[in-house]
Amino acid sequence: MATGMNRKDLLDIEDLSLEEIQFILDNATPFKDLFTRSVKKVPTLRGKTVLNLFYEPSTRTRTSFEIAAKRLSADVQNFAVSTSSVVKGESIQDTIDTLMAMKVDYIVVRHGSSGVPKMIADYAGASVINAGDGFHAHPTQALLDAYTMREVYPELTGRKVLIMGDILHSRVARSVARCFHMLGIEVGMFGPGTLIPQDLPPFITRFDHYDDAWDWAPDVMYLLRVQNERMKDHFFPSTREYHQIYGIHRKRFAAVRERGTWIMHPGPVNRGVEVTDEVMSYERSLINQQVENGIAVRMAILYALKPQTEAREGSA
Amino acid sequence: MSRQLFHGGTLASDGSQADILVEDGVIQRMAPGLTADAHTEEVDCRGRLIIPGLYDMLVHLREPGREDRETIETGSLAALHGGITGILAMPNTDPPIDSGSMVQFVLTLAGERAEIPVDTAGCITRGRLGEEMAEIGDMTAAGAVMLTDDGSSVANPNMLLRAMEYARNFDMLIGSHCATPALDLHGVMNLGSMSYRLGLPGIPATSEEICIERDLQLARLAGCRIHIQQVTTARGCEIIRRYKNEGLPVTAEVSPHHLLFSEEDLCNYDTSLKMYPPLRTPADCEALLAALIDGTIDAIASDHAPHTIFDKQMDFNHAPFGILGLETALLSLHDRLVRPGKLPWDVLVRAYSENPRRILNKPPVEIREGVDAEFVVFDPEGETEIHQDYLLSLSRNTPFLGQTLAGNIEQVVLP
Repeated sequence: MATGMNRKDLLDIEDLSLEEIQFILDNATPFKDLFTRSVKKVPTLRGKTVLNLFYEPSTRTRTSFEIAAKRLSADVQNFAVSTSSVVKGESIQDTIDTLMAMKVDYIVVRHGSSGVPKMIADYAGASVINAGDGFHAHPTQALLDAYTMREVYPELTGRKVLIMGDILHSRVARSVARCFHMLGIEVGMFGPGTLIPQDLPPFITRFDHYDDAWDWAPDVMYLLRVQNERMKDHFFPSTREYHQIYGIHRKRFAAVRERGTWIMHPGPVNRGVEVTDEVMSYERSLINQQVENGIAVRMAILYALKPQTEAREGSA
Repeated sequence: MSRQLFHGGTLASDGSQADILVEDGVIQRMAPGLTADAHTEEVDCRGRLIIPGLYDMLVHLREPGREDRETIETGSLAALHGGITGILAMPNTDPPIDSGSMVQFVLTLAGERAEIPVDTAGCITRGRLGEEMAEIGDMTAAGAVMLTDDGSSVANPNMLLRAMEYARNFDMLIGSHCATPALDLHGVMNLGSMSYRLGLPGIPATSEEICIERDLQLARLAGCRIHIQQVTTARGCEIIRRYKNEGLPVTAEVSPHHLLFSEEDLCNYDTSLKMYPPLRTPADCEALLAALIDGTIDAIASDHAPHTIFDKQMDFNHAPFGILGLETALLSLHDRLVRPGKLPWDVLVRAYSENPRRILNKPPVEIREGVDAEFVVFDPEGETEIHQDYLLSLSRNTPFLGQTLAGNIEQVVLP
């Protein structure tokens, strides 16, 4: 098992070493084992306060963090942010001051602008966990996805994952690509030319045609949600065309099922857009496992980070 | 003391030694080996460089409209503090400088309150909206020295062409802020590998390059003089070089920041480096410096853009574009380019003192016998700490805050 982590915040996969990634993944397993017991709690974070600061609405991720924190016996509070006001620095700066005055131990932040969790982390003594900022990063998603991969493939080196969809606007794609690459997985990307950035990191293989991506024989197809608003911004002409060319439609799904390719998706799924309905009952869909693992991995992250909120009590 | 002898200094423009005797604001004598008499104050300039007063041709003074960020007065003080003895104010104020009366307003205020001469540009179009021509004749008569919609480009090529053709009668210089708004969209930094990494929407270099090409073509068609403001791309430099080789009356400028910083410096989402046009790649920095040295780029202009601390504390997506420049331009150029030998002093003097005035048809500021004394005494061995209290600007949005730069502006002599 890897050695411990000495880090206050988790802002980006890019900040983590391979050892730290493995430390978190290794520690998720004992937490996951708890879930089948009747008492799913451990006292690890008793007396600590975890604050959820979600500027973007998100029931899934927020609930996942909430359950994770509560299973560690922490007190959880949701900080109600006015989502009706135009997002301005005023909110963030005032909020940072307020949070610091409240002296919470952990702050889980999701925000529509890249870099905001870092702004908070630079000021607050609390441990800041990035639950998704703009297009930038979603490190906890990447880690839970890596954990899920490990359950299927104990040996990850040389495995292939094809990320499909709107890469341009996806913090999940960026973090997953980076995390998987660090674990020795080969990463490919496929999507409309408008939604794949020109300047991808060199380790990513870019496919312009589905058939080429299929011939590459990915072990896992990682599907991204496609937002309909992108249509209005001229990124693709229609969801119908998107589904036919860039989605896993019925015919493609038959081949997927036959080959036994695994399907992953960060959720929520746009049925009929990135994937056909049938995938929801596919035996090799890892989507539900991702959700379950999300709680375990987030518990491991809360366990591993070190807030700087206490007055010095002897050794650090 | 009305008589001073600056002795032992070196002229930055050509490296020669000269003692300078100034009386009543005029250089009476200039030669090596002068001595001071009892009525003359002696200023020791040994080891110092004597630089002609600089001229900054892209400055945002924020008055009228945003006097919380800067005023004509504080901007002029900041300029002087940075060794700059003349500035060109941009017209994107609130209300904008798009009429003769607005030009008069700024120049009158400047005459009363500014420490140094302040020129003003006028808008090309009314309200900078790009739809109707502003009263170019009236603004010229009132004293505007350049026309620009700076902050915006003129999106409609026909509008720009008409303005260029019209401006010809007044021999008015058109300043071009080169960007293609439809390509910029919500971009906040250069589009590239860094914008991918940081997860921020990007502004493609192509947006500037297309517009530079377009504006130079239009200027050729209209037969007017054109000045490309704030060049940031290597390809942009190539385009300008090509048109200059054809003999077109085009000039161009670059800001110190685009020479010194690249998109890689944005890794911490530091809004004190968020500017428009944005920082580009390291290769662009090199190309810009080469273009400055070979004369493709004629001038250095800071694009001094004050913003309140509050505004710049916003997240990177929402923070306003722009950083200070007047007080740090000379020092930072010295610290990062001149001292390491990458930018010769004579190029800096040409680009930051001679050419801007020449482009605007202003009389040159020289250091020779018989002219007004207007020069900077600069100590290359000194150091300047850019702390909160050092800055005379009302704003503090500079990436150099808290840093120490090599060099010290000891004195600025004005006529």
